[in-house]
Amino acid sequence: MEDLVLELKKKIIEVLNLEEVKPEDINENAPLFGEGLGLDSIDALELIVLMEKDYGIKLANAAAGRDVFKSVKTMADYITANRTK
Amino acid sequence: MKGLKIMSYCRITDASVIFYDREVVVYNPKDEDPWLLQIYKAKDIHYPKFHKMDNLCKAGFLGAEMVVNDDSQENKENWAVVTFNRSSSLDDDTSYQKTIENADNYFPAPSVFVYTLPNILSGEIAIRHKIMGESVHYITKEFSAERICEAFNDLASDGKIDTIVGGWAEYFQGHVDVLMLKVSVNEEDKQLLTINNILKLWKI
Repeated sequence: MEDLVLELKKKIIEVLNLEEVKPEDINENAPLFGEGLGLDSIDALELIVLMEKDYGIKLANAAAGRDVFKSVKTMADYITANRTK
Repeated sequence: MKGLKIMSYCRITDASVIFYDREVVVYNPKDEDPWLLQIYKAKDIHYPKFHKMDNLCKAGFLGAEMVVNDDSQENKENWAVVTFNRSSSLDDDTSYQKTIENADNYFPAPSVFVYTLPNILSGEIAIRHKIMGESVHYITKEFSAERICEAFNDLASDGKIDTIVGGWAEYFQGHVDVLMLKVSVNEEDKQLLTINNILKLWKI
């Protein structure tokens, strides 16, 4: 799980172009949106693409996405339980 | 004499950044950073959203960053942004196309898609500097001092807009060409906004 959390942090930084952020700056339990990393709605769409492209997970339900993208930790938990890649 | 005056300007080419007649950043081929990132770092700018922008927006943003030179957080109700270029958002359109051209690897990139409109450039500048007046982007066949002069004067003619940030911002296939101006209606002893004066700055 720790490996996946680190992998996710690196991917989030790369995909969302968070050039001034390092993996160690991201608290795995901190909110991804609003406070915390302060991501926006376009970032949310990029995370949905990332889930499908890299882990084979299709998120069709927006309400479910809200829980999945609460933090890096919740993303990692969801990927572990649902990945097809 | 009162009129629309050129308060500051910035010229960005593939080779350098010229601000107030002085070369302030020069392209370093040994630096691994892309040219626009070299400028961002050299000017010690801190605006994380810069890294999310496409290259056209980065180019225009950097020019505006230098000419506005205003850290106030107040809304600028009487300011406008007017930009021009030739290639529209074609550079980003091409990047976006790469994300959708392969049916077996079809992952449209939302963050690339949002920049597939050239007026995002004027919007990004307006957001950054809290410019609340007009925000417009024109696509023209080539650089035209006449058109810039005409558009700026038209906008200032009704008395509601007294400061305009804008000019030419072109980025395509790795080449950048920017002439960003800040012009204001005032009586200061500055260059008038004329076709000839714009041309002089373009050729600098």
